Amino acid sequence: MTVPLDPTITPPGTGRFRDAGGLPADRWRAIRGEETLVATHCCFCGVQCGMYLRVHDGKVFGVEPRDHDINRMRLCPKGLNAYQQVNHPDRLTSPLLRKSRADDLRPVSWEQALDVTAEQIQRIQAEHGRDAFGMLGGASLFTEKTYLVGKFARVALRTRHVDYNGRLCMVSAAGANKLSFGIDRAANPFADCLLSDCLLIAGSNVGECFPVMTQYLWGARDRGAKLIVIDPRETSIARTADIHVALRPGTDAAFFNAVLHVVVSEGLTDEAFLAEHTTGWDEVRAAAAECPPELAAEICGIPAEQVTQVARMFATAPKAMAWHARGIEHHTQGVENCLTVINLCVATGNLGKPGAGYGTITGQGNGQGGREHGQKSDMLPGGRSISDPVHRMQVADIWGVDVDDLPQAGTSMMEMVHQMSRGEIRGLFGLCNNPFVSLPNYTVVKAGYDALEFHAQCDFFLSETAANAHLVLPVTSWAEDDGVMANAEARVVRHRKAQEPLPGVRTDTWVLCELAERLGVGDKFDYADSEQVFEELRIASRGTVNDYYGITYARLDETGGIAWPCPDLNHPGTPRLFEGGRTYHADGKVHLQAVRWHPPADPYDDEFPITLTTGRTVAHFLSGNQTRRLGGLVEQTPRPWVEVHPSHGFGNGDAVTVVTRRGAATFPALVTEAIRPDTVFVPYHWPYPVAANELTIDALDPRSKIPEYKVCACRIEPAAAVTPVPAPPMPPGREPYADTQRSRGEPLPPTSSQGRGTSQP
Amino acid sequence: MMGRTIVIDPGRCIGCQACVSACRECDSHRGKSMIHLDYLDQGGSVASSPTVCMHCEDPVAPCAQVCPAEAILVTPDGVVHDADKSRCIGCGNCVNACPMGVPKIDLAAKLQFKCNLCYDRTSYGLAPMCATVCPTGSIFYGTLEELRTERPGVEVASTFDFDGSIISTGVAMVVPRGRPVDEPLPGGAGEHAHVTGSPQPAGHLEPSADNVLGEPL
Amino acid sequence: MRPVVVGIVTALVLCAVIYLGSRRLHDFDSALAPYAIASVFLAFGIAYRYTVWISSPGARRLFRKGWGAALSWQNLRRTPTALPRMIATYLGFQKFLGARSRSRWAAHQLIFWGCLLAAAITFPLTWGWFTFTANTGAGPQYTMNIWGFGVADFNALSVLGWLLFHGLDLAAVLVIAGATYFLIRRMRDREASTGQRFGYDLVPLLALIIISVTGLLLTFSSVALHGGGYEFLAVLHMAAVVLTLLYLPFGKFFHIAQRPAAVGMQLFKYTGHGEIRHCRNCGEPIDTTAYVDNLRATMRDLKLDFDAVAEVCPRCKRLRRGQAYRTTVKPGF
Repeated sequence: MTVPLDPTITPPGTGRFRDAGGLPADRWRAIRGEETLVATHCCFCGVQCGMYLRVHDGKVFGVEPRDHDINRMRLCPKGLNAYQQVNHPDRLTSPLLRKSRADDLRPVSWEQALDVTAEQIQRIQAEHGRDAFGMLGGASLFTEKTYLVGKFARVALRTRHVDYNGRLCMVSAAGANKLSFGIDRAANPFADCLLSDCLLIAGSNVGECFPVMTQYLWGARDRGAKLIVIDPRETSIARTADIHVALRPGTDAAFFNAVLHVVVSEGLTDEAFLAEHTTGWDEVRAAAAECPPELAAEICGIPAEQVTQVARMFATAPKAMAWHARGIEHHTQGVENCLTVINLCVATGNLGKPGAGYGTITGQGNGQGGREHGQKSDMLPGGRSISDPVHRMQVADIWGVDVDDLPQAGTSMMEMVHQMSRGEIRGLFGLCNNPFVSLPNYTVVKAGYDALEFHAQCDFFLSETAANAHLVLPVTSWAEDDGVMANAEARVVRHRKAQEPLPGVRTDTWVLCELAERLGVGDKFDYADSEQVFEELRIASRGTVNDYYGITYARLDETGGIAWPCPDLNHPGTPRLFEGGRTYHADGKVHLQAVRWHPPADPYDDEFPITLTTGRTVAHFLSGNQTRRLGGLVEQTPRPWVEVHPSHGFGNGDAVTVVTRRGAATFPALVTEAIRPDTVFVPYHWPYPVAANELTIDALDPRSKIPEYKVCACRIEPAAAVTPVPAPPMPPGREPYADTQRSRGEPLPPTSSQGRGTSQP
Repeated sequence: MMGRTIVIDPGRCIGCQACVSACRECDSHRGKSMIHLDYLDQGGSVASSPTVCMHCEDPVAPCAQVCPAEAILVTPDGVVHDADKSRCIGCGNCVNACPMGVPKIDLAAKLQFKCNLCYDRTSYGLAPMCATVCPTGSIFYGTLEELRTERPGVEVASTFDFDGSIISTGVAMVVPRGRPVDEPLPGGAGEHAHVTGSPQPAGHLEPSADNVLGEPL
Repeated sequence: MRPVVVGIVTALVLCAVIYLGSRRLHDFDSALAPYAIASVFLAFGIAYRYTVWISSPGARRLFRKGWGAALSWQNLRRTPTALPRMIATYLGFQKFLGARSRSRWAAHQLIFWGCLLAAAITFPLTWGWFTFTANTGAGPQYTMNIWGFGVADFNALSVLGWLLFHGLDLAAVLVIAGATYFLIRRMRDREASTGQRFGYDLVPLLALIIISVTGLLLTFSSVALHGGGYEFLAVLHMAAVVLTLLYLPFGKFFHIAQRPAAVGMQLFKYTGHGEIRHCRNCGEPIDTTAYVDNLRATMRDLKLDFDAVAEVCPRCKRLRRGQAYRTTVKPGF
C-alpha cells in the first residue's frame, strides 16, 4: 500500500480537533487598548454571574471575566459565548408581517407593524371581548419589562389573560414558599453554602444547569461539608457526592416524607424550633409517619438504608441546607414536593441561620424578578394578589386607573393554549418565550397557536414560535438595554447597556409604549428608558413583601446588587431571610403543610413501562433559540440524544425511538450506566421533530399549574435512523449563519451528557 | 512545579467545557481552543478531565527537544510556548512525543498550537482564561499557598511515571491527603502501562471542515 | 568545530564562484565590494548555523531522511511531480500561510517576492556575475550579460528596460508594504505581541523597512535631487544591508533556510514504505510507520526513554492518564 503524498493522517485529538465553528463576531479582535469593558451580568441562568462585555467602536465583540462576588470571575460555556448573540448575523432587524400563515413573512415598517397590532387587538377585543386577546411574557426579560408586561395587559389590553414562561419553571417553588413562609424567594444567599455542614441538592443538575454555583458546593466540601444529591441520573455533582439517591422520577414526596419519618423516629427533630416557630407540625408528622423508609424504598426504587443515611446525615449536621430546582418542581405534585423539602429543613431547625436554610435555584436569568411584579396571571406588582380587593385598590391608585377596570385573575400558560384551541383566546402578543419548544405536548401547543387569528411575537432571533406568528417584532438582546434582574438569591443586579440596538431593532419597552399609545393609554406608558420604569416599579412595590423601594440604579451601581426586601434607601437589603425564625406570615410562623405522595399523572402500563424525564444540558439554554446559533455551543452539543441504561441492549449511537401516549421522536442513544435502568432522559432544547416536548405530558400541578415535564410513561424501540436536527428558523430568503451550524447534522450522541469531548466523537 | 502555576483536580471537574470556550477568548489564542476536555469514562459515568500543557521541567519540554525546527521556546519562567509561527513545519513530532497528549496541529496551516499558559495574561500577572473561569476550581491558578488557603490541607503532586521514566512538570495535580507527594502519578500510556477500569470505547473522528486535511502542501 | 569548518568551506566556495563568475574579477564592481564581502560572511553564517541546527537529533534525522526522500530515484519515478509541485505551492506561493490568515499570507507574499527579486538582482550584481553594457555610448540600447555572456538586448526606455533598472525599487515597494503590515500587527495585535522579543520579532521587520526605504531614497536622490545626499544614503543603505546579512542566520530570518525542511519532511513521511502505524489503544492511525520509528529513534537519541508513548494517540494518552488517575489515585472529589 502506498500512502498518498497528501497529508491525510493525523492522530485523533491533534489535527482532527474541533473548534468553535465560525463566529458570528466574524473575526477575533485582539487589538490592544482600543476597547471598553462594560460591567454587566450574564443573560442566561438564575445565578447571574457578573461579566464584562468588551466593546470596540460601539460593538460588543468579546467577554472578560469579572470579579463579582456572585461568581468570582467564574463563567460557564453559555456565559462565555453569550456575547456572540449581540451582533449575530441571524439577528432580526425588521418587523415581519403576513396576512395568513400560508403567506411568507415580509419585512414591513415599524409604523405599519404597530398599527396592524393595535388594529387587530381592537378588532378582536371588540368582536370577542377583552379577554379574547392574551399576552405571554418571559422571565428572561429585565424586571422593568416584566412589570410593563403585567401593566400593559391590565391597563392597555385590560385582559385577564396574561402569563409568562416562568409558569414552566419557577411556580411550584413559588407556591410552596408562599404557603410556608409568606414570601417567595430563596431563604439564604449562595455564600451560606460555604458555612454549611451538609448540603442537600434535590432535583438539580447543578453542574450543568448552574455550573458556576458548583463552586459553592465544592467550597463547602473543601471545608468538610457533606453533599447529598437526589437525582435519577448520576450527574456531575452526584458522581462524587457522599450520598447519591438515584430515585425513580416522580417519587420525591415519598422520599422526603420517609426522610422526615426517620428524623422523627430517631428523635432528630428540633422540637424547640418547631414549637416556637411553626404551625401544622402535628399534621406533617402524621403524614410522615405514614411513609416509613421501607415503603419509600419500594416507591422510589432505592435501598431503604439510603433514606436512613440521608436523614441522619442531614439532621445531625450542625448546619444543613437544602437547595432544589426543576427536578422536584416539574410535577403534578410540584408544590408538594417543595413543601416536603421545606418540612425537612424546618423540622431539623435548619432555617434562617448562616449556613442553615433552604433555597430554590431559579432557572431563568430573571426567574426570581420576573415572577414578582405582575406578569403572572394572578399577581400584581410587589407580589400582590390580583384577587385581593385591598391589593387591587393599591395598584389601581398607583397606575391611576379605576379599580373596576382591573381585570380579574387569568389562567396559566398551558391553560391559555387550550383556550386558544377552544377559541376563547383569539389573539396573542408574546414576548421573550418560545412555547413551541418549551411547552409540553407539542401537538396541542401547535394546534392552539395555529387557531389564533392574530399572533404577534417579539424576539431577537426568529424562534420556532415566532416563525409561526403573523407578526414578528425584532427587539433588543440583553446587552442593548439597561435593566435589573434578580438572581436565585433574590439579589437585584444591574445589567448595563453595552451597545446601541442594531439598526431596525427596538427595545421591548418602546414597543409596549408605542402600542399603548395606539390603544389610547399612552399617558400611562410614558417611559423614556428602563430607569423610569424602575422608578415606578419601586413605588409600586413599596410596602409589599417584595419591597424594591430602597433599591435604585445608583445604589446598584455602588454595590454588587441588593437583595430585596429593601424598604428604604439606607436599608442594606436582606440576603438571608427568617433570621430568628420569623417568616412573612402575619403570625411570623412557618406554616407547615402535610403532604402525601401520589403517583405521576401519566400511568405506567405494559405498553408504556419506562419513565421519560427531561432536562437541560450545559451548552444550551431553555428553548435553545439563543444557544443553537452560537458556534462554540453547537460544537459542544450539536444535537439531542436519549440517555439509556446499557441493560436495554442498545449500542451507543443506535437510533432509538421514544414513544409516549402523545408522540414519538427518534434520537441516537447515549448508553450510560449513569441513569436508572427504568428511566430514559432526553434534553429539551431542540424543536420538532427532535423535541423532547413532543413526548411530555401537559398535566399540571393543581396549585402552581406547572406542567409535569419530569416524568411521563414511555417505551423505547429501535429505529432505522436518527432524525436530523432542523436548522434554526430564519426569515424567508435568509439562511442561518452557516459556520455555526457545521456539526448540527452530526448523527452521533455526545460523548457524555455535558457534550462532546474536544476530540471525542 | 512552577511558583504560580496551574493545579488540576479532575475530581472537581464537572465537564462543562467552560475552559474550552474560555480558551478561545484568550487574545493570544484568537478563537482556537488549546485546552482538551475528555470524558474519561464514556458509558460509565460523566467523569471528565481537562488537559492543559503540563510545562514539563525535567526532562525539560520533550516537545521542544524533539522539534526539528527549534520552534518551541521555553522561557526562563518555565513556560513551554506554542510553536513559533515562522519556524514550525507541521511535522507533528511534538504531538506524538508529548507523553501527555497536549499539542494540536493544523495540517493545512502547517502549524502546531498548544496551551501557552495564556502568556499574554500570565506575563502580566493575570490568571489564564481557563483557570479564571473554571466554575469548579478544577483548573486552579496560583501558588501552592494560595491553593491551600482556599482548600485547607490539599496536597499536590507534579511527577509522572512513563515506563519508568519520571517526568516532573510545571503544572501540578491534586492528590488525596496521605498519598506520598513524591510518589509519581501514573502516566497511563507507554510500553508497560496497565490501566484499570473499562477500556475506552474509542471512535473514529472525521476530519473537520476547518482543517482541510486532504489539502496537499 | 565542525560548523566552523563547514562555514569556512562554504565561504571559500562562494569566493571561488565569485572569482570565476566575474571573469577573474574583470566584471567585479569594486564599489559594491562591501556587499560581496558581506555575502561571503552570510554564506559562512548560514552554513555554520545550518550545521549547528542539524546537529540536534530531531533535525539531523529529518535532514537525512528528507534529503534521502527528495533525492530518491524511486520517489522521483513514482511521483515525479511531487517535488516541483511542493516547491511551487509550498515554498513559493505558501498556501499554508493562507490557511493561517489571508491578510498575513498576502503580506508575507509581498515580502517574499520582494526579497526574492531583490536578491536575484543584487547578489549577481555585487558578485560581478551580472553586467549591463551599453551598445552605443549612452544608450538607450543595452545588453545584459551573465558571466560575461550577452543574454539579452533591450531598450532602457522600454517598459522592460524600465523594470530591469527599477527592479530593486519595485522590490522595495513590495517589501515596505508587507513589512509595514507586519510591524503594525506586532504593535497592535495581542496575539502577535504575546511573548514578542525585540531582537527576534521586530528587528527583522525594521531592517527590511530601513533597507527598502534607503534604497528607494537612493533612486529618489538621483531622479529628483540630482544626486543630492546620494553618498550618505548609499553608505546608510550599505550599512543596513551588510548588518542584515550578518544577522540573517541568527534571528528570525533563519526560517528561510529552515523552511524547505518541511518539503523534505513531507516527502519522507508519505513516500516511505507506505505503512501506517495505528494507536496501540484505539487503533486509529497515528502516522506513517517510517515517521513514528524515526520519532522514537529521535527520542531515544535524546534519552527520552518513554518513546513508546509515540505509539499511543494523543487522545488515548489523555484518556488513559485520566483513567489511571481516576481509578488509582483519586476516584472521588
